[in-house]
Amino acid sequence: MVETVGVLGTYQSNFKTREVDKTFAEQAQGAALGVLDASNMNPDDVDAIVFSLAPTAFMGVADADRWCIDHIFGAGKPMMRVHTGGATGGSAVHAANSLVRSGIFRSVMIVGAERISETPDAQKVLNQIFDPFYEKEMPLQTITTVAMMANAYMQRHGVKQEDLAHLVVRQRRSAMNNPHAHLKGEITIDDVMASPMISYPLKLFDCCPRSSGSAAMIIGNMDMVRKHQSHPAFINGTGGVSDSNWIGDRIVPTAHADFIDWKLMRVAGAECFRRAGIDDPINQIQVAEVYDAFSIQGLTQLEQLGFCSSGTAFRLERENAWDVNGAVAVCPSGGTLCSNPIAVSGLVRAIEAANQVMGTAGGHQVANVHNAVATSVGGIAQFLNCTVFGNDYVRTN
Amino acid sequence: MESYVIGIGLHSPSKALADFRLEEIVYHTARAALDDAGVTRNQLDHVTLGASDEFDGRSISSMLMAMPAGAYLTDEIRVTDSGASAFCLATARLKSEEFDLGMVASWCKPSKTIVEVFMRLRGDPFFTRPLGINMSISDALFAQAVAKTFNVSDNEVCERVVKAYERAANNPRGMKYDVPSLNDIRESTLESTPLRIGHRAPITDGAVCMVLASERWLQRHPGHQPLARIAGVGWSTDSYRLGRNRLSDLVSAQKAWGQAVGNDPAKIDLIEIEAQTGYHEAAYVRAFKLSDSIKISPSGGAFAQNPLFCTGLVGAAEAILQVAGRAGPVQLPNVRCAAAHSCHGFAQQGNVVMIFEEPGIDHG
Repeated sequence: MVETVGVLGTYQSNFKTREVDKTFAEQAQGAALGVLDASNMNPDDVDAIVFSLAPTAFMGVADADRWCIDHIFGAGKPMMRVHTGGATGGSAVHAANSLVRSGIFRSVMIVGAERISETPDAQKVLNQIFDPFYEKEMPLQTITTVAMMANAYMQRHGVKQEDLAHLVVRQRRSAMNNPHAHLKGEITIDDVMASPMISYPLKLFDCCPRSSGSAAMIIGNMDMVRKHQSHPAFINGTGGVSDSNWIGDRIVPTAHADFIDWKLMRVAGAECFRRAGIDDPINQIQVAEVYDAFSIQGLTQLEQLGFCSSGTAFRLERENAWDVNGAVAVCPSGGTLCSNPIAVSGLVRAIEAANQVMGTAGGHQVANVHNAVATSVGGIAQFLNCTVFGNDYVRTN
Repeated sequence: MESYVIGIGLHSPSKALADFRLEEIVYHTARAALDDAGVTRNQLDHVTLGASDEFDGRSISSMLMAMPAGAYLTDEIRVTDSGASAFCLATARLKSEEFDLGMVASWCKPSKTIVEVFMRLRGDPFFTRPLGINMSISDALFAQAVAKTFNVSDNEVCERVVKAYERAANNPRGMKYDVPSLNDIRESTLESTPLRIGHRAPITDGAVCMVLASERWLQRHPGHQPLARIAGVGWSTDSYRLGRNRLSDLVSAQKAWGQAVGNDPAKIDLIEIEAQTGYHEAAYVRAFKLSDSIKISPSGGAFAQNPLFCTGLVGAAEAILQVAGRAGPVQLPNVRCAAAHSCHGFAQQGNVVMIFEEPGIDHG
């Protein structure tokens, strides 16, 4: 007999380039206190903690989660840290879901913080993620690899740079309603096109900012839901998948999951939707908080998740299908494109999706949300996970 | 739902596994676990990694390591506390009934790292790091605290170390060090009061992988015989602050033990304790209130092999082999229930306990 799992509360800080007034541990403490308050809980109500923390090389403190033990009320509690690169936050939610669903714990706090501004150039750290013998010297990093993917995708499907810019304009505008968002504002397609080229075809405005901040979520079984949350978001579906690091093996015709169309997300999404009983996503899901560190990434995921057919998402972007009042509200928070605190970006996607279901998203709340999906992406687009939150509990297995 | 271990792969330890890339070490270990379980990689529905970026010298170690460990187009999560922590998450994933067949993989190649440099990086930059806290100093603080609290004498510590080496000498999966004399230990170089180099288990490279299966999977595949039932897991964390009470009270160790063992510690025949020094063994024996009938680390524990990050999971593998009757020269008779303990962090901030039983045992 497995447990039903619901979200009891969420918290996220306002994301910005630097957190000058707080240490890393204080950032995490703020998130822990915030989520306890949002959940009407005290520390003793939390059975266990999953810490969401990606590369510590950004900050230069190894195993920095340990530094936070006392600040997040972790002393004397079971605690573990999850790290799957950019996918960390989503993986942390999945790990916590397993800990509650299995019946091992009644409630788990997922908490983390990011302080990427401690490093003068995150891309130099991210160069270190590649193979030490073949790839580091090229030099690969996250922007150049996504740019290669973007070139191939755009050529394959006839997508123009202006199409990507359309998405950037929409999400920066959406972020104006989100007090937590790092980048926001009214910009034009011309502004995006005029921004400095970073790695063709990705320009500065096609890329996420380097954000600092913290976030937390508490999930629990039905006993805890009854005590602490009258409008929970249930974790109805989870799906994760890991692929090869080697991009060359992922772009050839014999690839098991084509890198250019990012078919890996189809694998994660299929399992997630099967578990959640979703077979018609565009009619069953009202909000998609997809992990889009770059303008090319979000809509390619929508295609693989089955919201539209392959190669059509950017045409639908031009037709405003992904607006707040469109067919599906895509990243009404502004998405990762507007705030990317890497250690918790996946967690923030999950928080935003859960908040939409719980009706607590504030200024960017979408009307009548029954189901919302969150994704996250890590490694060199090789670790993907997908989570469906719903206002009714549905589980097919 | 019950969960089981159905296959184990243990890489031969070495002071420095210099002839292989890390990927090769893990691939061969995962391959051995799959072969031992009689399953293929394609059958896995999840992989749980226990690995440290800092030890591996990479910012996201799993990018290159997940696939050699068996994670290809498969659900995969990595934890960074210890190999044993990964085992606990993998167990939870099976018990959640979302998964049926998984791999747990953990490795550590400290030979390519200056361990104390990494350990110093664990210190927060404002207080702990300027103090110069590293592994030696934090372990020594731990040793001072438990020696005073539990009346642990230097003679007891030295005897525990010699006995551990003696047990390890018979372990074909260990380093087979020469057994030192009591005097060798007593007169070894002082590292950090009261710790001497001889008190400490030598660090090695190593890797360990296990295949875990749900009860449901075993019912569907009756030809597969489990090695052991996972009867319990528990883990907990102590304060980051290395105060006197934090060091001596062993709260997280006792909580992990209680969560894993429940109300029936008498059923345990043996325990593999992760004892980085003789003081640690002396402390944990007392913290767990182990009776004299429970055998301590028949494998030799960390004195057989000590790939720091996954030493505890290696101990779990040794405990499982005992339950399965496959421990070879270090096999004890009539083992029905074995425990394994792991610890991690400064002065053992985190503790993990795993309990394994004969698969066919009557659980009442």
